Amino acid sequence: MNALVKSKSEPIDWAGKNYLVVDDFIGVRQLLRESLRSLGARNIDQAASGGEAIGLLAKIRYDVVLCDFNLGDGKNGQQVLEEARVRNLLLPSSVWMMVSAEKSVESVMGAAEHQPDAYLVKPITEGVLLTRLNRAWHRKQVFRPIDQAYAEKDYLRAARLCDTQIEANRVHEVELLRMKARLMEKSGEPDKAREAYERVLAQREYQWARAGLAKIRLANGEFEQARQMFQGVIAENRYYIDAYDQLALAWQGMGKLEEACSVLERAAKLSPNSVPRQRNLGQVCLKLGNVGMAEKAFRKCIAIGEYSVRRTPDAYLGLARVCGLKNDPKEAQVLLQAAQREFGEQHPDIDLRAKITEGLVYHESGDYRRARKAGDELEALLGSREERPDTATCLEMATLLFAVGVKEAPVELLCYVIRNNHDNALLLDEVQAIFDKARLSDEGGDLIRSSKKEAADLMNQGVLLWKTGKLKEAVDWMRGARAKLPNNQRILFNAAQVLVSHMRERGYEESLALEAHEVLAHVDRLQPGQQRFAQLMEQLAELVPKATEEAAVDTKA
Amino acid sequence: MTPVDDTAPSQDLLLFLASTAHDMKNSISVLSGTLERLLVDAAPGTEAAYPQMAQMLYQTRRLNDNLMQLLALYKRVGTPEYPFDVQPIEAGQLSDQVVSLGRVLLDAKGIALEVALERDLIWHLDEDLIVGVVSHAVNNAAHYTRDRIRLALTAVDGLLEIRVEDNGAGYPQALLDAGAAGLSDVASGIDFRTNSAGLGLYFSREVARMHRHRGRHGAVRLENGGALGGGCFILSLP
Repeated sequence: MNALVKSKSEPIDWAGKNYLVVDDFIGVRQLLRESLRSLGARNIDQAASGGEAIGLLAKIRYDVVLCDFNLGDGKNGQQVLEEARVRNLLLPSSVWMMVSAEKSVESVMGAAEHQPDAYLVKPITEGVLLTRLNRAWHRKQVFRPIDQAYAEKDYLRAARLCDTQIEANRVHEVELLRMKARLMEKSGEPDKAREAYERVLAQREYQWARAGLAKIRLANGEFEQARQMFQGVIAENRYYIDAYDQLALAWQGMGKLEEACSVLERAAKLSPNSVPRQRNLGQVCLKLGNVGMAEKAFRKCIAIGEYSVRRTPDAYLGLARVCGLKNDPKEAQVLLQAAQREFGEQHPDIDLRAKITEGLVYHESGDYRRARKAGDELEALLGSREERPDTATCLEMATLLFAVGVKEAPVELLCYVIRNNHDNALLLDEVQAIFDKARLSDEGGDLIRSSKKEAADLMNQGVLLWKTGKLKEAVDWMRGARAKLPNNQRILFNAAQVLVSHMRERGYEESLALEAHEVLAHVDRLQPGQQRFAQLMEQLAELVPKATEEAAVDTKA
Repeated sequence: MTPVDDTAPSQDLLLFLASTAHDMKNSISVLSGTLERLLVDAAPGTEAAYPQMAQMLYQTRRLNDNLMQLLALYKRVGTPEYPFDVQPIEAGQLSDQVVSLGRVLLDAKGIALEVALERDLIWHLDEDLIVGVVSHAVNNAAHYTRDRIRLALTAVDGLLEIRVEDNGAGYPQALLDAGAAGLSDVASGIDFRTNSAGLGLYFSREVARMHRHRGRHGAVRLENGGALGGGCFILSLP
């Protein structure tokens, strides 16, 4: 097992590490370099801009990065950090210190996806720097085994490691509990997550813990309670931006789009440079028919996305819709082409989504001939490929195709959606509503029943084989079922379960373990945060025979 | 036409002022860093200007602290608007930072700094604000002490008490009165025009009051006496 990291650890050798200092002001760079030299540092590189920093980070693995948040034109410090993390330019042990001229709002905003290891306020002096470096480094040691288990998606093991570390590291207790709560959320164990948040709140009123409790309520559909709690958090700390985004979701859950919109607008004023926030604002405005504000949000989203790895095609598609509503289909076309050009690589479905938007734009502007043409082209695109996009896109596509008068393709799409989600009652209602709107209520009802049965039969046969101990046959059957219904979560979970049972009874096999990992990774992409995912990942990890692994290494040596 | 409020400064002007202030802060921190380095390299025996350099560093620190406090107040320290950031911090790490911030100046002036604390004591506080307040108090004490300063951190009755004591002549009565006024929650009565210690005291009090826990909030008080018989600056946090 992983050894505990004690609070009183060895002094760290800061002299031999590689440092990068990023600041657009040469005086500050020199000052920081002097401070680092007084700690004994020898290898110190400097960058005057975000672009220059990325260039260096791509070549050299730094142990410590001191990066100013405000870097003038181009990328800001946060964007440099995000890109470095996403592109894997940092070692797991690298310490990233974000520097700013004043206490930054970002440092207390909450759930930014990529947090630095520490925030430093200028002026930075040697003693403060050394204390914070030591703390960040020590924290990394405490979290290393947890981060490792997290990266392997063995969330339950990571959560147990949090418990062990809390015993030995009281100063990190609050942060370890925060991590544990997050892990429990990812494992579909909201009660245990709540318990961790409440342990924190018993010590101090931390806003993120209060917001964590509210998020659990939100996920559970208790929108009104969640709303009150998020508003309480904001009243305490109006810079806790994450609470605004969540509050907007609570309003949306209650069907109050106006309120959701005004909350997002306030959040976007306080912290305008978030791609997802501007995108959400634009999409809510679009639903409300507030074309002017939607346009502003989408344009801002595209502008800030220019230097961000988190840029998204949604803003282009949304802006194209805005152009359609403003009766400018030409401009919409330009945007759709740009979206396909810029995002074709990372988003294989972008051609479908662009075509759907094109159809919508023509349909909404009353050009039914061109809308139908887009529908036919969409049908052709679908016919030329096996894979289907995610459920939301499928539904959007079917709705549009029906609206422009195409019939076969949307029926095929909806049957595909049902077969892959045969036990999701809410979704089946949604599908029935689309059939109803297309005046195909009865035909649709029959299709839903037969598609549902098809999936259920496939699954039940596999479960029967498994329960009667025919494990080899069950594994084969579930493979076949997966090939027919690649995105059915029940079938995927059962397929993984059967593989785990097979290995438990008949011994560990690397190829089967690999297969189970692939199945689970896929289901986690479809819908993250499910209890069965966490449980099966843990069971899989426990199956790996540790002793034989070492023995195998010994014989090789 | 919509009426224009001529008295409200434009957003552009505010941004310009803020960026100018940050620029000044950069310059002052470069200045004080350079002075510190010069002082470390020099020795009282070899450098004739040594006492003047120490005085320059003291004044530069004062400028820096004042600017920092003004900027923080401009960012509305003391109101929910301020990005207040509480974290669990070890007393030992808190004092390490204060000691290192004062080291060069205290050495140059021949002042001994004693530290008394339980290093592993953990408290929940805004580290940047508290380090700023306490090191400002140490800087202040350096000006008024004879030759000793004592920094003590202890948990007393559910409060973290941070004391900065010196062996100087103690605080004048007017300042003690101002401190008492602050305690009783009445308008503090500090005259910013005549009282040079006013800003620092006002700032410290705002920072203390932001720290709240279970119905209690932090406070600052001034006393004469203490372990060294001079002025005592006492910050207590729930």
